[in-house]
Amino acid sequence: MKSYIKEFESMDKPSGYYTELVGNLESLNTELNAFNVINKELKDGLPFSVKDNLCVKGVESRASSKILKGYIPPFDATVVSRFKEKGFGFLGKTNMDEFGFGTFGTNSEKMARNPFDPAYTAGGSSSGAAIATSIMKYHAAIAESTGGSISAPAAFCGVVGFTPTYGVISRHGLIDYSNSLDKIGFMSRSSADTRIMFDAARGRDPKDSTSLDAEIKNTKYTKLTVINQLMDGVDKDVSDRFEKLLGKLEQQGFAINRVDLPEISAAIPAYYIISMAEASTNLARYTGFKYGAKVEDFSLSYNDFFKQARTNFGTEAKRRVILGTFVRSASVRSKYYNKALKLRAMLIDRMKRVLADSMLISPTMPVKTPRLDLIEKLTPVQVYSMDVLTASPNLCGFPHISFPYDYADGMPLGVQIVADHFQDHSLMSFTDKWEESFEYKFKHNLGEL
Amino acid sequence: MKIGLEMHVALPTKSKLFCSCSTEQVEEPNVNICPICMGFPGSRPVLNAEAVRIAKAIATVLKCEVKDKISFIRKIYFYPDLPKSFQITQLSEAIGSKGSLAITDKDVGIRRIQIEEDPAKIVRQDNYSLIDFNRSGVPLVEIVTEPDIASEDELKEAVSTLRSVLYYIGVDVEQEVKTDLNISLGDERVEIKNVTGVRNLIYAAEYEIKRQGEIVQKGKQPEKETRSFDEQTRTTKSSRKKESEEEYGFIYEPDLTDYETSGLKVGEPIIPHEEAARISSEFGFSYKTVLELISFDRNSLSLLSKSAGKFDQKAVISTLEDLKKFDSTGIGQEGFEKLVRMSADGVTITQSIVSGIKSGREVTVKRATQDEIDAAITELLTKDRTLLEKYKENKNVVNFIVGQISRKYGLQPKDVLDRIKFIIQRMSDN
Repeated sequence: MKSYIKEFESMDKPSGYYTELVGNLESLNTELNAFNVINKELKDGLPFSVKDNLCVKGVESRASSKILKGYIPPFDATVVSRFKEKGFGFLGKTNMDEFGFGTFGTNSEKMARNPFDPAYTAGGSSSGAAIATSIMKYHAAIAESTGGSISAPAAFCGVVGFTPTYGVISRHGLIDYSNSLDKIGFMSRSSADTRIMFDAARGRDPKDSTSLDAEIKNTKYTKLTVINQLMDGVDKDVSDRFEKLLGKLEQQGFAINRVDLPEISAAIPAYYIISMAEASTNLARYTGFKYGAKVEDFSLSYNDFFKQARTNFGTEAKRRVILGTFVRSASVRSKYYNKALKLRAMLIDRMKRVLADSMLISPTMPVKTPRLDLIEKLTPVQVYSMDVLTASPNLCGFPHISFPYDYADGMPLGVQIVADHFQDHSLMSFTDKWEESFEYKFKHNLGEL
Repeated sequence: MKIGLEMHVALPTKSKLFCSCSTEQVEEPNVNICPICMGFPGSRPVLNAEAVRIAKAIATVLKCEVKDKISFIRKIYFYPDLPKSFQITQLSEAIGSKGSLAITDKDVGIRRIQIEEDPAKIVRQDNYSLIDFNRSGVPLVEIVTEPDIASEDELKEAVSTLRSVLYYIGVDVEQEVKTDLNISLGDERVEIKNVTGVRNLIYAAEYEIKRQGEIVQKGKQPEKETRSFDEQTRTTKSSRKKESEEEYGFIYEPDLTDYETSGLKVGEPIIPHEEAARISSEFGFSYKTVLELISFDRNSLSLLSKSAGKFDQKAVISTLEDLKKFDSTGIGQEGFEKLVRMSADGVTITQSIVSGIKSGREVTVKRATQDEIDAAITELLTKDRTLLEKYKENKNVVNFIVGQISRKYGLQPKDVLDRIKFIIQRMSDN
């Protein structure tokens, strides 16, 4: 099993190692926009990066939003303090779609770019975490997923992206998008490194009431399930390559099981309704006088003051505040918000039946890596539909992992495996085995000796 | 007439509802604060179990159905005193529902008891609104009654009964208490928002009953609206016509899991008017007198419960009334009974007697015959012969004799004075 973290720890680093790493990173960052903040003081430990929606004590943490400009949290997120306790060194804050609202890393002041080709998307919303993982050899990335924000950029940037079971990792210190869906996870260049990060971070935290100490299972599954309905919207070339992968896995001894699960079509609407409803309440606190971007004109009435502060939201954030406020308003709440909660419960039940004796497998994204100029032409609904394969495990809190399985025209393709709650280690065991027969490719290897 | 209350009562916990900041309300603003009660991004609430326990005790004593599992919701509105722009509160999964509060002629229904966080305090200064977050996150219980109160007298009784019941749980309903008052003499509901204090609540109701009464008498209907109360003029004025219900966009609070309440111990509920009724029926004491004595005095209730069967009503009651005049904390059951016995013997209870009993000294009050008392008075009067002359000008010159004699023999000052007058008369006649 390949572990870059272990290799780094036993490696003799020349003096000036960190200075050179940071220097190279800064210059590559001007092209790719992976980082919002780079810590030039880094001197020790395995460099770890933190998605910008996680609080780092004394470091500006703004979820790539203008409205949080200047917010310097007086505390560390629990996952950050656990990494620091492990001796990892804080490298910087990674770029993302504002508040996590996006699939392509384009909803940020600085558009994230794909490390294989800057004309292409890096994916989102944890764009920077994926780019940083793809360009640095020895590095651990803390990312976060609400509806696919780890899987999507991991697939487009060709790295391993792991989203744990909901509740296993404390969310204390996370700048909330949608609390009942937000999951802190990790990106790395190997399954073994993912396991190291996950085990360092997990466990009950009294500061997050929804966090828990659960027994994490490691089951050896021999069956992989494909949900037919999920494949309907997948690009021809992607599905052809995916079918080849299934053939290869069959040869390796896995049984491929194909099932119908028409209810899965509820995943995207339910996910967007719940996430927008919660997001619109989380974003209500940004009113321009306690932290972040401040409104200076105290002659304004309360409402005008708040309005002025909230002009600092980006377009997608405004859209989600409006839609989220709508779906929870009294006249339509039962039709949208309450119904979405019921659909989520129904879908968890249906999917658990399938996951009882197998793991799900699908391409991570329904398309090959899109060019950035094409993304600009997509409507919001077309963008939302890109989450078709990642929405269901995220909505239901199932752990999932995305890793590269092929390269098309030099760009990586990702496959996603989903397991039942608390089967997180089973996913890593599966990926360990995959890595024995497949080598991931990278264009940059900063930090390599 | 229909009156209903939504009373917001602060719970006596050491720390706030969702963080470990002190609930103490100190002069200096913004000192008992942290990222949680300031609503900083990244922070999240952690429920204070003691607040839930006290809320459960309130729900129990108000005979509510108590939920085994409670959950919280977000109530979203924009105001500078609300740090997250939403208040964490309860609705359908509130700790208590369908309870009642008994007053003389009826049971006032309790619709709901819900736990919620207090907003910050806005202080107006010049043209600015300053915000003090010390209060932000203090645990509150909102007690929502049914509109069962039908007169001003019932309102007064309901409020004082509620206060008394809460007193026995350790919850002080102080002058800071904030109440929304729903009051309708016609068909539509009029809501008077945010009335501070118990006295203002009554003033607001008085004014509103008069105002709406006049409209109804003219054969018209008071409008559906929200009004506010002006403490200076003791009047209410319209603040918003209510066309539709307010929109709060409630969602479940996703940072708090369902909370199990069945393990929280609340103790036996004490309902003061039920205690008064019991003492009154068991021992033939006056219900009204007993209720008055115990309403806000758990010590009196305890002393009374244990002594009522042993002594006659007059001695017990008058001793309890005496105790309220003096510093009697820590008197204890045994000491109290000593006092009752003395009182039954005609001894006037004084602070020095109470203090003596408290300190465990043997207090014996000399019981004297009429002759002995007369002799003592005569002796004091003969010591200074001018007293008799002065007495003709100013009756007060004998006050010091009244004091000395009544203390020495444990007599009522009035009785001593009568005796002095009699002796002076006799001396002058001689």
